[in-house]
Amino acid sequence: MDSFIKLSNFPKLLPYAQLFWQGILVTVLLSVFTVVIGFCIALLLALMRLSNFCPLRFLGLDKNGHRKQRGFLAAVGRFNPLNFLATAYVEILRSTPVIVQVFIIYYGVFSLIKLPSVILFGFIRFDRFFPGVVALGLNSGAYLCEIIRAGIQSIDGGQTEAARSLGLSQAQNMRYVILPQAVKNILPAIANEFVIIIKESAITYTIGVQDIMSAVNAVKGATFIIIEPLLVATAIYFCLCFPTSKLIAYFERRMSRGDKR
Amino acid sequence: MATRDSLIKVTDLKKHYNMGTIKALDGITTEIFKGDVMAVIGPSGSGKSTFLRSLNLLEEPTDGSIVFDGIDITKKKYVDANGKTVNLNIDLLRQKMGMVFQHFNLFPHMTILGNMTLAPMKVKGMSKDEAEEKALALLDRVGLKDRAGAYPIQLSGGQKQRVAIVRALAMEPEVMLFDEPTSALDPEMVGEVLDVMKELAQEGMTMVCVTHEMGFAREVGNRVLFMADGLLMEEGTPEQVFDHPQNPRLQDFLAKVL
Repeated sequence: MDSFIKLSNFPKLLPYAQLFWQGILVTVLLSVFTVVIGFCIALLLALMRLSNFCPLRFLGLDKNGHRKQRGFLAAVGRFNPLNFLATAYVEILRSTPVIVQVFIIYYGVFSLIKLPSVILFGFIRFDRFFPGVVALGLNSGAYLCEIIRAGIQSIDGGQTEAARSLGLSQAQNMRYVILPQAVKNILPAIANEFVIIIKESAITYTIGVQDIMSAVNAVKGATFIIIEPLLVATAIYFCLCFPTSKLIAYFERRMSRGDKR
Repeated sequence: MATRDSLIKVTDLKKHYNMGTIKALDGITTEIFKGDVMAVIGPSGSGKSTFLRSLNLLEEPTDGSIVFDGIDITKKKYVDANGKTVNLNIDLLRQKMGMVFQHFNLFPHMTILGNMTLAPMKVKGMSKDEAEEKALALLDRVGLKDRAGAYPIQLSGGQKQRVAIVRALAMEPEVMLFDEPTSALDPEMVGEVLDVMKELAQEGMTMVCVTHEMGFAREVGNRVLFMADGLLMEEGTPEQVFDHPQNPRLQDFLAKVL
């Protein structure tokens, strides 16, 4: 039986090694920026979802200024537009395919915003790279939001009560008491999201980001060899993701040991 | 008894849950005076903790009023001395009410000193040196000065609760609220915490203590409140409440716990 992998094809890839090296760098940079942007968006979204901002609160108060227990106006009084917007964002981004989002951002939003066609490091096309980062960042922001929200909610309510009873405002409580504890709890989950983004970033080759997948595509176009460059890409993705997740597991163990001081 | 300055006046305080089907508090009226050491006793589920937590609005009352320092704190706005309507600053209010919890609620990611200086620095704007100096003096009072650099997890329950008490004291509150401060402690550690509270009472601090320590309530308290089913069933001096209970619920309760 004819093997679908031909070893003799691998040497033919050597002239394209440069493309793969550049692809690795692009993929890693793309993932790092995505996580950073995603985290910032997610933190904002999570705080919006946990906020206590009810501008129509006065509609839900009775004549003594106490909150009504039931009825339509009580529900209106509890309406939190920040929470509503953030929840809508998260649910929409999580319920639609990444590739659709990437296309909408690239062909839609960035057709209106003209980006300078700068070439970074001699091979990264900024006008492709940047929309890719934005699209992936917006997407991972929705997922990270839920991670951060869960992290914040996992902190014992007594912490907030203690902080507030000492006179700390809601914002100060978040900043000095809740977030430092929550971030420590959710770091492993954020790192896992990083691994997911490394893999997901492959989708951005469809808008011309020169990542690892785009190197595969280039080789395919030039030599009509498909399987072998794909195997190389598989190996590269594995070598990026597997050690990273092992590293995360290691730090996770170390951090939980710290708790038992 | 001579006329005393009123500090907190509670009128018909109600707290309902689940559309009013659960009545944790069903109309509490009482007054706390400066220098009072008020013990709140009663069976579990009687609304003692809810009452205490309502005093600094950790629970938002469903109805009724709480007047603290002349301001009804259950309203979002009040009229100040100049006749101007201003928004109630809940944070300012809570600074004046120290609170100690059953489960200590120390901040685990900060040292004892960090726990003590956070609020004085961030809320009162104290300098780091000043806040630390004050914190160390307070820690010295409860015999924990040498543990200032430790993390809460390295302390025993009794030590944690002593830290929690002086953490609240660092804000120089007008009244201290204790929510079953010894209920989560091993029996041999109860004494050290009660000693600190006793000392505080003798210095004239106004205290409201939800407690199951009847000995403490009798010895240190000047007033005892007995609550059951969200209602204030009986109120009086420790002698009246413990030695001559009138309400059958109180008689029944005392028969069980004494």
